[in-house]
Amino acid sequence: MTEDAKRVAQDRGATDLRRATDAGTGSIADRMKRTAVGALGTALVVDGLRQRSLGGTATALAGGWLLARALGGTDGIRRVLSSETGVGRRGAHWTESSDATAASRSITIGKPADELYEVWRDPEQLSRIVGPFVEVTAVDEDRIRWTVDAPHGREIAWETSFVAEDPGELLRWKTPSDASLPNEGSIRFRPAPGDRGTEVTLSISFDPPGGTLGAEALDKLDVVPETLAGQLLARCKSLVESGEIPTLEGNPSARGKGEFL
Amino acid sequence: MKALTWHGKRDVRVADVPKPEIVNPHDAIVEVTATAICGSDLHLYNDHVPSMREGDIIGHEPMGEVVEVGEGVETLSVGDRVVVPFTISCGSCWFCENDLYSLCDNSNPNAEMARKMMGHSPAGLYGYSHMMGGYAGAQAEYLRVPYADTGPIEVDSDLPDEQVLFLSDIFPTGYMAAENAGIEPDDTVAVWGCGPVGQFAIQSAWMLGANEVIAIDRIPERLDMARAHGDATTIDYEAEDVYDRLMELTGGRGPDRCIDAVGTDAHGTGLTAASDRVKQRVHLEDDRPYVLRQAIKCCRKGGTLSVPGVYVGRVDNLPFGSVMNKALTVETGQTHVQRYLDPLLEKIEDGDIDPSFVVTHRASLDEGPELYEKFNRKEDDCVKVVMTP
Repeated sequence: MTEDAKRVAQDRGATDLRRATDAGTGSIADRMKRTAVGALGTALVVDGLRQRSLGGTATALAGGWLLARALGGTDGIRRVLSSETGVGRRGAHWTESSDATAASRSITIGKPADELYEVWRDPEQLSRIVGPFVEVTAVDEDRIRWTVDAPHGREIAWETSFVAEDPGELLRWKTPSDASLPNEGSIRFRPAPGDRGTEVTLSISFDPPGGTLGAEALDKLDVVPETLAGQLLARCKSLVESGEIPTLEGNPSARGKGEFL
Repeated sequence: MKALTWHGKRDVRVADVPKPEIVNPHDAIVEVTATAICGSDLHLYNDHVPSMREGDIIGHEPMGEVVEVGEGVETLSVGDRVVVPFTISCGSCWFCENDLYSLCDNSNPNAEMARKMMGHSPAGLYGYSHMMGGYAGAQAEYLRVPYADTGPIEVDSDLPDEQVLFLSDIFPTGYMAAENAGIEPDDTVAVWGCGPVGQFAIQSAWMLGANEVIAIDRIPERLDMARAHGDATTIDYEAEDVYDRLMELTGGRGPDRCIDAVGTDAHGTGLTAASDRVKQRVHLEDDRPYVLRQAIKCCRKGGTLSVPGVYVGRVDNLPFGSVMNKALTVETGQTHVQRYLDPLLEKIEDGDIDPSFVVTHRASLDEGPELYEKFNRKEDDCVKVVMTP
């Protein structure tokens, strides 16, 4: 990612944070919305009661419901989108504030378990799955080195070793406890029904068990483990099923070219 | 290159944007020769679809000539004339292999965003928000077409663009709506919305053996089109009570099959319609499900409700008790366009249908913003706009 793209992405992250905050229950915009709907509800109640008929009763009830809804407040999908996933992101990962340092996600992939196991054992394939923001290199047969660009031109790197290997069923890896970003993970495979392939569950955990170092580093890197696990699985699935990973690289718009603009 | 870009509510502009390029092995680049404005583009235009970003290229009903192919593309070559489906489908996941192309597991780069919203992500679409993939749209001079072996259909015949262009979306969408309705002999089919998808749903309902087709709208020229080209009995919902009229036309049974070809931006009449408008404006409700409620009420017991109309999020006051107690079947989904390309092209080539009857406006991309406004206001008898870049 170029410096410019990074800056744009970070700026957008800040905007999204504000937007998410604005969508909170106390914001002025939200109060105005509720006032408007509450007013409509009140008007319907009054109007409905005046009519003294079945239709009027229905109107009054509808108004009352609207009023109750306005007082209670509800989440729109825009709020879900802006606060949970954020339109902004840095690197390959969605911006999201969370204290969670561990996550587990499952996906079904239309390939046999043995083949998938080999993919997760192969640094070259892993490199494509994690994407261009993480450099993956084989240290030796059982160890992999991961290097990530951190903000302000710094790098965070760590090594993982495979600590359990059960071909076609399970792989488990972890870093030494003194690593710069201590973490561990596992991937499990089991057959899916019929012609659906293999059910794959990826579990990742940073700075286990629940220290603060992992959370801080994740925050710096804008990584949410749950989202990260989901994206890694989806990218793996796309790669092995369709031979490519969907991308918005070079995607044109009036903002320019590429997914970060 | 030139493209139509989205800049907020009712703000579409002609912009000079970078040309797309091949980035994945199964990509192709298509030089667009004709591209239409879809009724669902109006949902973007009116800012009812979340996760749009200022400057996004919109549009998803294109055809054109292949000018470049990626190293992995096997079935297309440079120079081929193709119609491009609006659904982007990988062709190799379980859904694609089961002909459920609009549910493709692999084509949405922003799948995580859609998953948070809906539980699972459907296929990526051209120019239809970042939640639905973020792909640049087709109201442009050039389009990047991912998974080019699975999407585009080659058209060899010398049929003009206008006759085959609508294979990209609205003809298959109307056809799938009628197919989903499960039409049986002697069935009466009611179609809400006489826009282009409604018109093709009417045509398709006859093709699939309907006994009678009733079309509901309020715009005179659209009702005229439904009568003249669709041979439908029409109801102007502003002039008549739809439920009463449908019961009269069906001996009180209600239409056996009901098709909602309107979706999120239903107009409707009365208090409920007004309340939907207010709630949608203040984001307390994402859609205005006026037609959905009415169709549920009108549908025959044990009948089918088929929904090709686009909905984006939460709807209020849906009478699900009626769905349950009347034992209705609900069928819906974005169109599995690839499933219908060959059979529907054959119908066009055989002369069973000439889809160009819906076209009312022809223009250049430069006139796009003006035509969006016209189409949105349903002015100037505007039913369908085709642009040539």
